[in-house]
Amino acid sequence: MFNRKNTKITGDFIKKRLNNLFILIIICFAVLIVNLWYLQIIKGQEYEQRAINNCIRSLVEEAPRGEIFDKNGNLLITNRPAVNFTVIPAEIEDYNIVSRQLSSIMLLEESYLINKFEQLKQRPFQAQTVVRDLEKEQIIAVEEQKYKFKGTLLTVQPERKYLYQDLAAHLLGYVNEISEEELQSSNYQHLSGGDIVGKSGIEKYYDAYLRGTKGSKEVEVDALGREVLTLKSVEPIAGNDIYLTIDSKLQLYIQELMAGLKGTAIITEANSGKILAMVSQPGYDPNLFTQQISIEQWQGIVHSKDNILCNRSIQGVYPPGSVFKLITAIAALEEGTVGLNDRIYCPGSFKLGDSTFKCWRETGHGNQSFLDAISNSCNVFFYNMGQRLGIDKLNHYATMFGLGEKTDIDLPGELTGLVPSQEWKRRTFNQVWFPGDNINLAIGQGYLLTTPFQIHNMLCIITNDGNVYRQYHVDRIVSQSGDVIKRYEPEIIRKVNVSADTFRVVKEGMKKVVEEGTGFNARIEGLSLAGKTGTAQNPQGENHGWFVGFAPFQNPEICITVFVEHGGDGSQSAAPIAGEIIKYYFLQKNGQIVQLNE
Amino acid sequence: MSTGTKKRTSYFAIGQTPFNRLFSLLKHIDYSLLFVVLCLCFFGLLVIYSTTHVQVTEAGSLFYVRRQLIYILAGIVLCFLVSLIDYHEIEKIAIPIYFIALIALLYVVFFGRTTAGARRWIVIAGFDFQPSEFAKIALICFLANFFNKQKERLPYFAYFVLPFLFTIIPMLLIFRQPDLGSSMVFLAILICMIFVAGIKWNYIIIMFLATLASFPILWSFLKDYQKNRLILFINPNLDPLGAGYNIIQSKVAIGSGGLFGQGLFSGIQSQLKFLPAQHTDFVFSVIGEEMGFFGALLLLALFVFVLWKGIKIAQEAPDLLGTFLATGVVAFLFFHIFVNIGMAMGLIPATGLPLSFVSYGGTFMISNFIAIGILFSVHIRSIFA
Repeated sequence: MFNRKNTKITGDFIKKRLNNLFILIIICFAVLIVNLWYLQIIKGQEYEQRAINNCIRSLVEEAPRGEIFDKNGNLLITNRPAVNFTVIPAEIEDYNIVSRQLSSIMLLEESYLINKFEQLKQRPFQAQTVVRDLEKEQIIAVEEQKYKFKGTLLTVQPERKYLYQDLAAHLLGYVNEISEEELQSSNYQHLSGGDIVGKSGIEKYYDAYLRGTKGSKEVEVDALGREVLTLKSVEPIAGNDIYLTIDSKLQLYIQELMAGLKGTAIITEANSGKILAMVSQPGYDPNLFTQQISIEQWQGIVHSKDNILCNRSIQGVYPPGSVFKLITAIAALEEGTVGLNDRIYCPGSFKLGDSTFKCWRETGHGNQSFLDAISNSCNVFFYNMGQRLGIDKLNHYATMFGLGEKTDIDLPGELTGLVPSQEWKRRTFNQVWFPGDNINLAIGQGYLLTTPFQIHNMLCIITNDGNVYRQYHVDRIVSQSGDVIKRYEPEIIRKVNVSADTFRVVKEGMKKVVEEGTGFNARIEGLSLAGKTGTAQNPQGENHGWFVGFAPFQNPEICITVFVEHGGDGSQSAAPIAGEIIKYYFLQKNGQIVQLNE
Repeated sequence: MSTGTKKRTSYFAIGQTPFNRLFSLLKHIDYSLLFVVLCLCFFGLLVIYSTTHVQVTEAGSLFYVRRQLIYILAGIVLCFLVSLIDYHEIEKIAIPIYFIALIALLYVVFFGRTTAGARRWIVIAGFDFQPSEFAKIALICFLANFFNKQKERLPYFAYFVLPFLFTIIPMLLIFRQPDLGSSMVFLAILICMIFVAGIKWNYIIIMFLATLASFPILWSFLKDYQKNRLILFINPNLDPLGAGYNIIQSKVAIGSGGLFGQGLFSGIQSQLKFLPAQHTDFVFSVIGEEMGFFGALLLLALFVFVLWKGIKIAQEAPDLLGTFLATGVVAFLFFHIFVNIGMAMGLIPATGLPLSFVSYGGTFMISNFIAIGILFSVHIRSIFA
């Protein structure tokens, strides 16, 4: 029957194999039939009863997110009970009627609700939230018309409450429903549509710790949807609490001090990297996002002219201006470009080819030593340094001090800024690096862009003589049973290779800045303070004001960076604020030590 | 009795005039098999009507039934066309078809339409189209051709490794969609065909052990929801309202059917929508509930008849190519039927495979009818051989 010369495969053999296959098929079918018999005949009665009684609802019990405390144990974020409007899609008879009723009570578009129902139908038996956090009148309205809302119920679920409204809003972040993209991401496994997750700040960065585990409840309901019996209940597990290094009083004080301004202030413990306050103004109230928020309101926040959701400390990039002279100064000393006793004459401007670069004081500073130049922030001195050092060295030192790269602070969305290089300019503009570019870069202008937090990090490195501390603001994470899950300790992550002498001299210069130079306005009597001001020109308008500093000069305790967007001169805008903050810090620490002459 | 050496000049190899040929070919189609297949389709239509006639769509209560009818008619036409073609033509087209299927699967991976988290569809001229279904037919043709070409060397181990590679490529592409069930169909087709092609028993044992050993590796590739399904298959009561829900509800539905069923349109589980995916993956649960033990038994008997016919056609095929083709078709149908029904009864993890000829769905229906067309083609030539 088969073409089968020289082969061991014979027709009979294959027939046998096919018979074997058919026997397997029969066995499988026999298994199916036996099972069918078991299900339908032996257990039939039982299952029939279950089918009749199959009015079991599955309810999700959302887990309260962990609470957040400041360094002194003050509660900052907690949860409050909120009433949600929930539906079980399979039990709804007519979506159009429900949508119409609901839209008039909730003041939501009918089309929005119909869309929402379409999504929810994918899990027809799961109770899912349609409208969060109803107002009292809405609850009453729903209860009154309950007969119209078959298949729906009101559930009480925890909702985020930010006790101090806009206190450290950018740092703490806000929560909202998980987005489509987030659902796809591996960071949010086990979550489903409608779940609440952190959207920015600590709420987002530590979301996995804060989130907790959802509980579930299986209840039997009667024909009217009333709960008759709880069959099974798994309690939700609340998320872990987080204790910050933030001092909320200090934070609040700075926020009030900077009210109405745009800008940031960052203050950290000098020898640990613990962030005590991080202010970004203008702020917002994260509670807004937990309430029902209309699309207009949302658009208003996202597209606000002042960009209020932006954490300017890490998400704003600005030219650092004269603050960068600290880097130029360190580079010049380290490379032996200038000696401590050398003097450079400042006539008020600096000529390079056909171009003239002005000093900020048009009449000039006269003869300037290294320390004079830092103290007076003399541009001409640093123009000379920039010319002598060149781009490669400036880039090397800027990068060494963490500019142009993320500081890896424990917050999402940090920007990198930009430290230009020859390579970068060729790639971006297809141009060579001009000598004039060195001049601009030396005083922190030109292409250079930094976040205020990078500048702060640079300041801390200088303060700590090259030791780079990890900057952080979560002290510990504590489970509901009180176990410390994670504790963060100060950590030196690397060391900047610059000689101790260089740091000593530059810090000496910074002291002089406050004592007699541009930082005079930050001066506090009875406290030795070192700092540096900056005034950054920018194409958007009025100059940005900067001040960085540390105190006390001997054994520094705190580092502070103040940045005022379009605030004008750093010595006039940022330095006085920094002075006030430092004063407050030491006052608060011990009212007796620092004598204040208001 | 060999036809392999005969020179064929036309697709209609037998008879004198085209009409005569066509007539004599049509005369020899196995109408008992066709009749049983149509009975199965009718079962499907009843269930689809029962479960969807209350769903309000713009197209009215017959929307799904009408669409399914169109699929069936298209299937029957394709079935006849395929049966008229001499199956030896597969020698020429098996390799191109295989690669076209691979390209279509690749296309799905990158550009396919996504529903419920899986990327399985491409849209052609307004119709959703599932390339993985046609890839199954393509694989049957490809493997049958391969085994036929290599028939001299079939007992040797190496000639069983190659088909593995050819199978694993489309399998992985479908696995990525992700569609665990469909990718398993490929394996089932391969194993049945290898078995019939004459693999030695000791190789079968090696293969079995290798598969067991690869489970931990496969496990790491599974998506979370797939792992969940497997865990819940072992113990559905772990999560009675989440992923275990489907299995429990399906069992309740079947069980409540009893001997004679609740009657069409009156299954509590089905009509109250406690059952998920009633007209597609869980169609058997509705049959169990509404038609009872006897209805389900009748359905199973019809399926056994189809498979028995397939086996017979394989055994009576004029040559090895025909045998292998029919075997592939039987494997394809059998795996779908067994896994789907087993899943509905909670015997097998819920993998989402539709029930041949019964479940609602266009691409699947058409690929099933093409499979039957292949059986017919082999059967007709065995009569004339």
